[in-house]
Amino acid sequence: MGQITLSGISKNFGAVQVLEGIDLDIRKGELVVFVGPSGCGKSTLLRLIAGLDKPTGGTIAIDGRDVTPVPAADRGLAMVFQSYALYPHMSVRQNMAFGLENAHLPRPEIDARIAEASRMLEIAKLLDRRPGQLSGGQRQRVAIGRAIVRNPTAFLLDEPLSNLDAELRVSMRAELAALHQRLGTTMVYVTHDQVEAMTLADRIVVLRAGRIEQVDTPLALFNAPANVFVAGFIGAPNMNFIQGVVRGPVEGGVAVTAFDGRVVPVDAAAGALAPGDAVTLGVRPHHLRRVGPDEGLPVTVHLVEALGAETVVHGRTAEGQRILAVLAGQEPLASGDVIALAFERRQTHAFDKDGLRVAGN
Amino acid sequence: MAGVLGRAAGVLAAPVAWAAALVDRPMRAWQNATGTNGMAAVFLAPNMLIFGVFVLFPLVINIAYSMTGGTALFLPDRTFVGAAQYERLLSCADYTDPKTCEEDQFWIAVRNTGVFVVFQVALMTVVAVVTALILNREIRGRSFWRAVFFFPVLLSPVVVGLIWRWILQRDGLLNAALFQLGFTPHVWLTDRFWAFAAAIGVSIWAHVGFYALIVLAGLQAIPKDLYEAAEMDGTKPGRVFWRITLPLLMPNLLVVIVLALIRAVQIFDEVFVLTGGGPGTSTMFLTQYIYEVGFASLLKNPGLASAASILMGGVLVVLTLVQLAVARRNEAKGKRQ
Ligand SMILES: Nc1ncnc2c1ncn2[C@@H]1O[C@H](COP(=O)(O)OP(=O)(O)O)[C@@H](O)[C@H]1O
Ligand SMILES: [Mg+2]
Repeated sequence: MGQITLSGISKNFGAVQVLEGIDLDIRKGELVVFVGPSGCGKSTLLRLIAGLDKPTGGTIAIDGRDVTPVPAADRGLAMVFQSYALYPHMSVRQNMAFGLENAHLPRPEIDARIAEASRMLEIAKLLDRRPGQLSGGQRQRVAIGRAIVRNPTAFLLDEPLSNLDAELRVSMRAELAALHQRLGTTMVYVTHDQVEAMTLADRIVVLRAGRIEQVDTPLALFNAPANVFVAGFIGAPNMNFIQGVVRGPVEGGVAVTAFDGRVVPVDAAAGALAPGDAVTLGVRPHHLRRVGPDEGLPVTVHLVEALGAETVVHGRTAEGQRILAVLAGQEPLASGDVIALAFERRQTHAFDKDGLRVAGN
Repeated sequence: MAGVLGRAAGVLAAPVAWAAALVDRPMRAWQNATGTNGMAAVFLAPNMLIFGVFVLFPLVINIAYSMTGGTALFLPDRTFVGAAQYERLLSCADYTDPKTCEEDQFWIAVRNTGVFVVFQVALMTVVAVVTALILNREIRGRSFWRAVFFFPVLLSPVVVGLIWRWILQRDGLLNAALFQLGFTPHVWLTDRFWAFAAAIGVSIWAHVGFYALIVLAGLQAIPKDLYEAAEMDGTKPGRVFWRITLPLLMPNLLVVIVLALIRAVQIFDEVFVLTGGGPGTSTMFLTQYIYEVGFASLLKNPGLASAASILMGGVLVVLTLVQLAVARRNEAKGKRQ
């Protein structure tokens, strides 16, 4: 149980269209992450699924039943809010019991569920405290606990980790992943942090300006981004983009003029690109290698970030194009140095003038 | 535009700078003489002077008056009687029956005030909460309605009394309307029950906007996502009110109750204008009793009035201490969250 189907969902706030033409099938037991820049409509979409808002158009089905007109309380879903939204005047135990009491569950059943969830989340010792007496991480656990005891068909989580410090966020992320494994319940998780999306998701839904840009597994998104937006959004640091023009066909692809007249071969399906077409080449910073002076693209170093295991180089080409490279190991570089960088043909992406991906592996 | 503003600021600044230069020398001299801490006294002095002349001094004089007897107005002409006025006020054979008391009018006023305070404060709190709940909704013209409910607070109590007398008197608006609709008119203000009810109703009408505003502030301070969490938890509207809204509103409600209590004990002007304390003594409250004994009756007794006002002051001090304790508790609670 826990399959959620969105068909043709749109949402307007007054005259402002916030979501448009959302079709999505969330499978039973899946952990789906909505990711996208701030304001793209992630929370709105989650709230539509929750039933806290009603869509302007389209339908929402849970396990095949159309729940579009069904109020939030009767959808069998549980939500974890970004602010946790714990009832400040109730103890942790009362916070967890509240929804179950509303459903008139027998007291022993309520106590058993709270005991089970608080053991799982290691908050048994906090049960008689109030939210105001808990740390941020503990409140987060209580908020998750309050969702778990409801035994929902799916969990909805809206940026649940964004109020935690960096260290805690990483450990809670791992715990959430483990929790999902253990419960096997469908989870819909909203974040603007693509690293969080990559590490947690079974599938990622990339949203931009109220539309779905791409839905796929984390690695598929990384390896084959559908368009420039996804390519730039997924993967850290961001992909380098270079403008170029198609010169003509080569074996298995086309040759592209870029970088001050240099010619770069890229893989492309026959007919996808014609000579004279403008293209955007995309190369990930990790895919740039340092080579001998005459074997690659000359780049002037502007800033070096030596992280120990790798060296992040911010540089510019002769034409002023910004390039970010992540080189393995420690490189003795300084600002002003000129280095040569090369990249593999199969790791070079190309996007047409509409931003759609036409080449790359 | 900016240039004009700049010039205006320059013009305004000139006299300020001039005044500052003028007081600079004496201030410095003072500071040299008393040290930095002494300066606090300088800045507090004007306010302390006003407080002393208009509050502290009358208070002391009042205590002195309460220990004197006779009808003379000026303190030096009055005879010292010690606690005799207090004894007279407090001497009762049976405290539940004003008729057995030496100063039966005082006890009637005390009883009236007590009944008034209980019903007025209770009703006021309920009406304020209901009003705030309505004004907090997404209703059309919300700001307009908020202004409408707050407007009576701005009226002078005498105006409030006059408006309602105009409505409720024998040939008033209400009776005219009733007559038009075919009902028998009623003489509201000479009916013991209705006059008392009118005193409560009118004082609520006049002040509820203020208390509703305090409750409204409390409502708006409750995070919206708590209500969404409650919605996800499948909470029925009534339960949301009793289990979430009301508990989180408690700090504000306590403030409302204590402030309303303090004001209800002091009730006077609007009711006096409305009913004059009548019919008989049925709407005579403590402040009116004090006013009449001290200033309005044929045989003025300033000593007795002073003693009664000191007793009432004592009650108000207790209520004020409660209010301060409540405020402190709220503050401590706010810090903990
Ligand atoms: N209740 C609302 N009324 C009007 N506009 C809203 C409302 N809620 C959200 N929006 C707008 O919808 C857009 C998407 O918001 P949201 O879903 O919260 O974005 P995200 O969670 O992706 O950051 C934003 O432009 C926001 O201003
Ligand atoms: Mg959001």
